[in-house]
Amino acid sequence: MANRSRAEQGVLGVVVVLSALLVWGLLSGGLGPAYFLYLLGLVGMYVLLSFGLNVQWGYAGLINFSVAAFFGLGAYGTALLSAGNSPLAGGLPPLLGLFAGLALAGVLAVVIGIPTLRLRADYLAIASLGLAEVVRLVVLNQNGWTNGSAGLRAIPTFFEGWPVLGSFPEQMPTLVVDRILVTIPFVTQFELLGIRLGTSFWQGVLNVGLVLVFVGVTYLLLRRVHRSPWGRVLRTVRSDEDLAEALGKNTYAFKMQSFVLGSLIMALAGVFYAHLNLFVSPGDLEPINTFYVWIAVILGGSGSNRGAMFGGFVVIAIREGTRFLGDVLPESFPVALPNALSLVETTYATVVSNIASTRLLAVGLIIILVMRFRPEGVLPPQRELIWPRATEEATEGPTSGDGPTVTADGGDRGADR
Amino acid sequence: MSETDSDERASESGSPTDETTRDLDGANRSKEDVVLRVDELRKTFGGLVATDDASFEVERGTITGLIGPNGAGKSTLFNLVSGFYEPEAGRVEVNGTDVTGAAPHEVAEHGLVRTFQTPRKLEGMTVREAMLVGPQRQAGESFFALFTATDAVTSEERTNLEDAHRMLEEFGIGDLARQPATDLSGGQMKLVELARAMLADPEILLLDEPVAGVNPTLANTLAEHIERLNEAGTTFLVIEHDMEFIMNLADPIIVLDQGHVLTEGTPESVRSDERVIDAYLGGGGA
Repeated sequence: MANRSRAEQGVLGVVVVLSALLVWGLLSGGLGPAYFLYLLGLVGMYVLLSFGLNVQWGYAGLINFSVAAFFGLGAYGTALLSAGNSPLAGGLPPLLGLFAGLALAGVLAVVIGIPTLRLRADYLAIASLGLAEVVRLVVLNQNGWTNGSAGLRAIPTFFEGWPVLGSFPEQMPTLVVDRILVTIPFVTQFELLGIRLGTSFWQGVLNVGLVLVFVGVTYLLLRRVHRSPWGRVLRTVRSDEDLAEALGKNTYAFKMQSFVLGSLIMALAGVFYAHLNLFVSPGDLEPINTFYVWIAVILGGSGSNRGAMFGGFVVIAIREGTRFLGDVLPESFPVALPNALSLVETTYATVVSNIASTRLLAVGLIIILVMRFRPEGVLPPQRELIWPRATEEATEGPTSGDGPTVTADGGDRGADR
Repeated sequence: MSETDSDERASESGSPTDETTRDLDGANRSKEDVVLRVDELRKTFGGLVATDDASFEVERGTITGLIGPNGAGKSTLFNLVSGFYEPEAGRVEVNGTDVTGAAPHEVAEHGLVRTFQTPRKLEGMTVREAMLVGPQRQAGESFFALFTATDAVTSEERTNLEDAHRMLEEFGIGDLARQPATDLSGGQMKLVELARAMLADPEILLLDEPVAGVNPTLANTLAEHIERLNEAGTTFLVIEHDMEFIMNLADPIIVLDQGHVLTEGTPESVRSDERVIDAYLGGGGA
C-alpha cells in the first residue's frame, strides 16, 4: 500500500512539474495559448487510444498491432463524410461522421476477430500487424475513395452546424492581455503575458471540452466494466484461457467483445483527431503511432485505466516536449571540459542538434527503465476489482471506503450526458 | 456405490471385438443413474493412438477413480471428455445430453467441470476474486446488463461473494480470502481450485491428479473434502497416480492401459488383478 501511494505521489509530482512548465510557457509567451490547447487535445486523444488498447491488451491480453488502423478508420470515416474535398460524400454533419467512423472500426474489428480470436494470442498479433499495413496502403492507393497521399482537407470542426457551439469561436470577443513587466527587486526583471486570445483560442477551448467529454464518458464506462463480472472474465482469459473455458466461459465471445470495444474507443480518438487537425492523410496511419500507444499502456500499467491516462500524457509530453528542448538547450556543452572528456562534448552536440531523432531514444530508455525497475507499470491496476456495490454491505473492507456508490451512480450520470 | 460381481461385468464387457489377444474386461456398462457416458472414444496423435475406443460410465453419487500407467491416455481422455480435444470417433454424454465435439464451456454448462494437473494462477487477483470466476451464467457477465440491470448485477454479485467466503470457510482457508491468488502454496492452490470449481455448481467434477506434489497431510485433508462434497451430492471422476490415495478414496476404479479400458472394479479387485499389475510393470502384451 505504501508503495502504491508513493507511485501516486510520483505521478502527481511529474504532472505538477510538467503543468508548471506549461503554465510558465504560457505566461512567458513562449507557448501560444491556441497551441497549448491543441496539445491538450492531443493528450486527450492519446488517452483515448491508450484506453482502447488497455481494454484489449490490459483486460483480455489481446495483442493488437493495428491501433493506427482503427484510429485511421475513425478519422477517415468521419472525414470522408464531412471533408470539403472528400471524393465520396463531403459536407455531411460531423455527428454522422462520428457514427460512420465507429461503425467502420466496429465492422473491421469483427471481421478480423472472427478468424483470429478462436486461435491463440499470437495469431491476432500477426494478423493485426498485417491489417495495419493493408488499411494504410488501401488508404494511400485508392485515390478514388480517399484522395490518396493528398489526404482529406477542409474538414469542419466537430460542432459545425450546431445551434450555439457551432459559431461559438467567432462570437466570442477577442481578449488581449497586455504585457506586464515583472520586477523582482535586486534580482531580475522579465516580461509576462502579452497574449491575444482570438477565434483559434476559443476553437481550442471547444476542442478540449469535446475531448474531455469523450475521455470522461469513456473513463466512467471503463471503470464500471473493469470492476464487473464481465471484466473479471476478461482478466481470467488473460491469465489462463483454458481455465476460463473449463469454468464455462465462452472465451471467444468475451474476447470479441473486448476487441470490438477497444477498437471503437480507438476510432473515437480518430474521429476527434480529424476534427481537431482538420486534415487527415495516410501518414496518420503509420505503424509508429501504434507503438507509441503500446508504450503509453505498458508505461502506465497494463490493465489500469488510470495508468493508461498517465501513459498517454507522458507519451505526448515526450513527443511534443522534445520539439522545444532543442531551442532551450545551449548548442554546445556549457562547461569547458578537459580534452580527455571531449567525447561528452561531441555527444552532447550531436544530441542537441538532432533532438527530434533522440525522441525515440528517450522513449526506448524510459521503457527499459520501467521494465527493469517497475515491470507492472507506473500505476498498476488495483489489486482487487469487485463490483463495488457488492462489497458495500456484504463484507468489511477498504474497497467500501472510497465511495463505491458514487462510482456507480456517477457512471450513470456521466453516460447520460 | 455400485457393487457388481465379476460375472456380470464379463458378460457386459464392451470389447469382445478386440483384435489383440489381450484379455480386456472393459468397464461396467450397466450402471443405472449415469452422469457421464463415454462411448468408443478415439483420438490419435500422428501414428500414436492415445485413446483407443475407450468406453466407460460414471454413476451418479460415486467417486470414480481413473488409473493407469504413464502414457495410458488418462489426460487425453480427460481432455476429450471436457471438450479440450475433439475426438475422432465416439460419443460423450453428460446427463444424457450428447456433448461430443462441444467446446469446453458448453460441456461445463451441461454440468461437467474439470480442474487441471498444475493449478492455474490468476495474476493480479485476490483469492476471493479468483473464486468469483467460478459461478456460471452470471448476470454481470453480459456487457449491457452492467448498464441496464445494475441492481440484478449487484445482488447477484453480493450473493456470489457470500458464497465464495462461505466456500473458503468450508475448506478451512477463509483467512486467505484477501491474499493475492499468486502468493499461495501449491497445496492451498489445489484447495482454492477445488473450492472454485464447486462454485460452478457441477454435477460431475473431473479432478486431474488432485494430490500431485501435495504433502501427505494436505492430501488427507483434500480426500476428506472430496468425500464431504461427494456426500453432499457431487459426483467425482479422479485421475491419480498416488495409489494409496485413490484406493482409499474411490470406488469403483477404472483402469486404463494403452488407450483402452482394461478393467473396472472395487479397489480390492483392481489391486489383485494380474493384468493391472502387468500393465504397471510394463509387461503390456506379455
